[in-house]
Parts: sequence; C-alpha cells; structure tokens
Amino acid sequence: MNHRKLPDLEYVDVRNKRRTRFGGLFAPPRATPSTTPLQLYSATHPAMGTEYSLYLYAHSGAHADSIAKPVFQEVDRVEGLLSNYQPGSELSRINREAFQHHVTTDPETFRFLETCLAWSERSQGAFDISVGKLMKVWKFFGASGAIPTPEELAAAREDVGWKKIKLDRTARTVRFLAAEIELDPGGVGKGYAVDRAVGVLRARQVGAALLSAGSSTIYALGAPPGEPGWKVRVPSARKGEDTVSTVILQDTSLSTANLSEKNFVHEGHLYGAIMDPRTLRPVEGMLQVTVISPSATDSDVLSNALFVSGPEDRAALLEGRQQACALVILENQLAAEYEATRWPAEVANGHLAELADAEER
Amino acid sequence: MNRRSLLQGLSFSMLAAKLSGTSSPFGEAEEPQPEPARPIAANDRVNIGIIGPGSRGQELIRQLLRTPGVEIAAQCDVYEPRFAEVNEFVGKKVPAYKDYRELLERKDLDAIFVATPPLFHAPCAIAALNSGRPVYCEKTIGFTPEECTNLVDAVARTGQIFQVGHQWRYGSWITDGIQRVQRGEIGEPTHVYGYFHRNDNWRREVPKPELEHLINWRLYRESSGGLLEELGSHFIDLANWVFGEQPQTILGTTSISTYNDGRTVGDNVQAVFGYSKGRTMFFSSILDNGIAGAQLWVYGTKGALQITLEDSTIYWEKAEMITAASHSKVIDRGLKTGASYQAETLTPYRGPGLRTQMKKEEDPTLTACKAFIQSVRTRKQPFANVDVGYGSGIACSIGRQAIFEGRVATLPQLKRLG
Repeated sequence: MNHRKLPDLEYVDVRNKRRTRFGGLFAPPRATPSTTPLQLYSATHPAMGTEYSLYLYAHSGAHADSIAKPVFQEVDRVEGLLSNYQPGSELSRINREAFQHHVTTDPETFRFLETCLAWSERSQGAFDISVGKLMKVWKFFGASGAIPTPEELAAAREDVGWKKIKLDRTARTVRFLAAEIELDPGGVGKGYAVDRAVGVLRARQVGAALLSAGSSTIYALGAPPGEPGWKVRVPSARKGEDTVSTVILQDTSLSTANLSEKNFVHEGHLYGAIMDPRTLRPVEGMLQVTVISPSATDSDVLSNALFVSGPEDRAALLEGRQQACALVILENQLAAEYEATRWPAEVANGHLAELADAEER
Repeated sequence: MNRRSLLQGLSFSMLAAKLSGTSSPFGEAEEPQPEPARPIAANDRVNIGIIGPGSRGQELIRQLLRTPGVEIAAQCDVYEPRFAEVNEFVGKKVPAYKDYRELLERKDLDAIFVATPPLFHAPCAIAALNSGRPVYCEKTIGFTPEECTNLVDAVARTGQIFQVGHQWRYGSWITDGIQRVQRGEIGEPTHVYGYFHRNDNWRREVPKPELEHLINWRLYRESSGGLLEELGSHFIDLANWVFGEQPQTILGTTSISTYNDGRTVGDNVQAVFGYSKGRTMFFSSILDNGIAGAQLWVYGTKGALQITLEDSTIYWEKAEMITAASHSKVIDRGLKTGASYQAETLTPYRGPGLRTQMKKEEDPTLTACKAFIQSVRTRKQPFANVDVGYGSGIACSIGRQAIFEGRVATLPQLKRLG
C-alpha cells in the first residue's frame, strides 16, 4: 500500500554549501570542540526496499558518523521487527502463527498493532494493515502488479479485514480469525521507523537534521542554522510542472502517497498499488496526497487513508486531526484539482493555501 | 593498557577482585542449595531475572517478551542507563539491582539469564546455579579453562537446568543443513571453514571517555577473547556439532591491521582447530572488509554445506565416474597427451540446479529462549547444554592464549565429576 512518488528534497546550507559522504575510519572517542562550526553532512542507508537519507549538522565527519550509525541501526531494527519480506521478523512470525494459536508478542509490536487497528477504526477501514493477501493477488508483493482472476479476488475477501485481527492487551497476544490473513506494514512501517529513528536523534541532542525514508516520509528536526526550517518540495502531479508547493518544516513530518512507484497499465487503464481494502481494488480518481503531521507514523497512515477515502470521509478524518495538514490532488481529465486543508504554503496556479479553512470561516 | 586504567573504566566490583587476586565475591564458595527448583506447571508464569541487560541481554529480553508465560521480573547491571532502556521496551519498571547477589536473593525468580561480558559468565552462572535456579548463560561459558570446568561441575553438582547461548543450534535452516550432513548427504565431513568478515570497527559509542573499558570491553584483552571468542565461538560450536566432538588442538594468529585505536585484541584472527581423524576447522575474522560476510562451509567428500545467517545450501561435487560411449576411441586410437592444466576443475562451482536450499523462519534466539523456558518447565536439560558450552568455551579460552602467544596449544577434554 505504500508506494509513493518521491517529493523532491531540498536542503539548505547557506554558509557552507557542503555535503559530505561519511567515510574513513573511526576516530577514538573524544570530545568534539564546540568551537568547530557546524557543517551539513549526509549519509544514506538501504532499508525497507528503499534508501533512507539523513542530513544533519555536525561538528565533524566523525561526529556525524557517530550519530548516523545508531539512527540507521534503529531503522534496521524496526525493519527486522516489521518487515513482511523477512521471514525472521516478528510480523512474519505473527503472520505464520496467529491463526493457529494466540501469539504472544513484545510490547512494542503489540502497541504498533494497536495503533494500526485504531487507525483502521478511525478511517472506517480505509487504512488496513491486513491487506497482505490483497497485495499478493494483485501481484504487488515483490512485483509490479497484474489483474487478479475473480476467483483470486473472492478468496482474498476472506483473508482481508482488520476486524479479523484480535488483540488481547492483558495477555499481549495476537489472534487471526481467518486462516490466510497477512499483515502488510506498507502503509505505516516507514513512518514508524522514521519516528523511532528521530527518537535516536533527539536522544543525542541533535539540533538540526532531516531524515527521509525514500522521500515518501520525511521528518524535519529543528532547522538549518539561520533558516526557519527545512524546505521540502511537493511534486506536481501534472505533466510539465515541477513543484506544486514548497513547505518549510520544523519539528514535524511529511508523507506523500501516490501511484508513481508501483503501477501497471492494462488496456489503457492505470492500476496503482494503493488498495482500497473495502473494494479489494486499486484506488482510482486520486493522484497524490501529502500530509504534514508531528508524528511520522500518523502522516504515513493518514496520507494513505486519505488517498483511499472519499471526500466526506477525508474531511472527517482531517477534522479529527487538527494538527494535520493535507494537500490532496485529485485526478481530472482536464486538470488536476486540489484540496488543501490547513496547508501552510502556497499551491501552484494560484491555488492558495488555507482554502479549506477559508471556506469554513 | 594497565590494570589501573582498566579498573578506572570498569567499576564492576567483581572485576576488581578478579584482577587483584583478592578473595572472590563470585559465589564459588557459596553452598549449593540442596534442593533443585520445583517443576513449573505449563500455565504458571516463569519469572526471569537477567544479569547484564546490555545489547545482547536486551535482545534476549525482547525474545523472552515473545515467549508465552514469561515475566521479566528483575534486572542487574553496573551501568545504570541500561535500566531505563529495559523499562522502556518491557513497558514497565523492572526492579533493578547493581549487585547480582542482591538479584539472586530474590526468592520469586524462577530462572536466571546471564548476559554480562564473558569475564563474568562463569561467576554469575555458578552463583545462580548455587541459588537453586536454572540458568541460561551467554557464550562462552568461561573466560578461563578453569571456569569452563567449574561451570560443568556446578551443573552436575546442583542438578540444575543449564543452557548456553548457542542459539544457532536452534535455527531451523541450520539444523536442517547439519542433519543432512549427518545423514551423509555430502559424504564424510572432513573440514569446516568459517568466515566472519565485516567492515566495521567493532567499537561501541562511548558517552564519556572514562566509560571506554566498560562499554568497549570487547576490545581489551583483560576482558575479552576478541573475535575468536565473540564471533568464532558460534562457528566452533557448529563444527563441534558436525564432528560430534570438541577440538583437540588450536593454532592461530592475530594482529591489528587497520584499527590502531588503543585496542589490545586483534582486528583480525585466523585459527585452525584440529579434531580427531585429521579433521580440521578453520576460522577467519577480519574487520576491514565485509565482502565474505558471515558464512560457514562444511566440506565433505561428496559435497558441501554452506550456512549463512539467513539460509543454508547444499552443493554436490560433480560425479566422478562417467560412462562414456566413446571409450572405444581410447582403445582404438590411444589417449592424446598434452598440458594437464584444466581451469574448470579449479574454478569454484557455480552451476545451477544442484542446490538444496533451506530458508530461515523464526529467529533462532527466540527458538532458543522458548526451548529454555520449556526445559525450565519440564526439568529436562536442553539441546545446547553445558557440554555444548564446554566445547566452545574451552576452545576459546585456550585459543585466546594460544593466539596471543603464537603457539600451538592442546585442549583439555571434558571430564565428568566422579
């Protein structure tokens, strides 16, 4: 469910214009002189089927390296916990065993599943972590997609549905009520990993950093020196246009859901990898949803849930999340249409921000 | 590094006593509890106390949290920030102790996990056994040969359940592969080659310089057997499993080729262990190139088993005898003479279609923890018992000295209490 086009990233380092890959050997631990000016460093790390990028201000390469290492270790740890591509992950173990018996899991995984089910309830099933089987019958798991047979779809209906996942908080167990249920963290995993990794940055008192999970979920921590925040550009869904809006973020996250990463065309029709778990079909009529929210888990989930939901449900979801801002781009034969809710920047073509708010007033 | 600087960094009181040769606070002199712990019913909760919840200890706790009927009931560490880390992912405040003897005084604990640096494995494990509790002890079971023997004796004397942290014995793909070897699928296994190569300084981040030796205990001879002990012990254990015995000799070398940062253990190790009937195990670990990664090869007379951390694969040698229809040519025309070199016979096998692949499923540490809890409930010794622990422990404790001193050493074989 989590296949997005990458909003372009832009980082600003006005004074140094420096961007350095980490490398070299470890220097024995020593205090970094605080008089050394901060410089911008970047590092990348492959994880969760994409590339994580970290940009941060540090006093030296060794200093930056000492921060990047535990940040990416935390991303890897979360991947080892939640990946449905790794048979040894906790999520894979739950997928294998939870129909046969109550599976005792650790508190972190349990809380994660509680969060997912709460979002399913809140979004009336628009967000649903149980779509694993659906992704497989549409051949989006490890492939680029194909239309399933009616028999495959009928079988998948039995094996999809968040209400078939039962959690027992007292015993800390998970149980599936259908034999072939498969949890797929695609619409939430990267956001959760970003939140956890930002926790590592905060614990190390990092003042300014930008962490990007393949650019579909981004967290802006603090701001570059002398800047109001980190710039993130939201790409236009319309041909010939580069950017639809540029936002400046500080201590918040941004996630984008769109169809550019995984899709296929059949008889002239575009099928994307973002599924409506209720119809068991790819969502149509939507091009892109970008959400800004203090929690990366929330922005990741919400961008997908809004993508799947109809107009009224979108409004209701956003009404309940006053800290969230959204820019929704709808598919239109002639031109893209926009819905901006509490969006903090201008939108291209004269579509001004705060449209939704203005109407409310 | 001298003893003084080590002690400044490592405030563990046990270490002070150990290195200064004063009377031991480790509990060897404590009287063993005469009665073994009661069996625990299938539905009863098993209360766990863990000594040393650092990185490995925390991984054990994570897996215990996935094991039904288990409660993390007590933790002990000399490094206090560990307590908050544990409380965070356990989701509650776990009673904390700075002295392991206080933890062992708790009467409600049903089993003890020991995940300290190896220097303290045997003292803590023996004290826990003497307190009448089953013990899961990380590898290696002893830092010195005497400690390995003492731990074996303590298990025999107390009759307690003991499991060593050789979790690879519980990996489904590893078990499957080694059982295939034992069924003769690769002929007679004669050599085991283990590589643990990485491109990583093996150093942990240190918040304050004075904590260097406490955090980076792996890098100093006083507190670590280095790569042979930390990484090699798993491979040595698998070789012991394949050959059905512990090694008899060790020859090895170590040096610092890249990380001249004050560490006193090598950043590379090569060791050869000798087994009966001329069989050998070779172990290599380097820290400045990770291309080979972690992989173990069991070479047999008819094929090979490759084990990685994710899967295992069997390769068979090409058939030696071929019935050819053209034999008459040899008889009629004679054999043509020429150069004897044939590159293909020396090229590593890369052909398709001869692989039998077994994939990883459950994390072997979780399987090992479940097996231990089951042993605690049933009072039956686990697969990775103290004899298994002795096999790798004695190899590493003797091997450490042999490598540092550059000599061939003979290993004492396991002897049971009379």
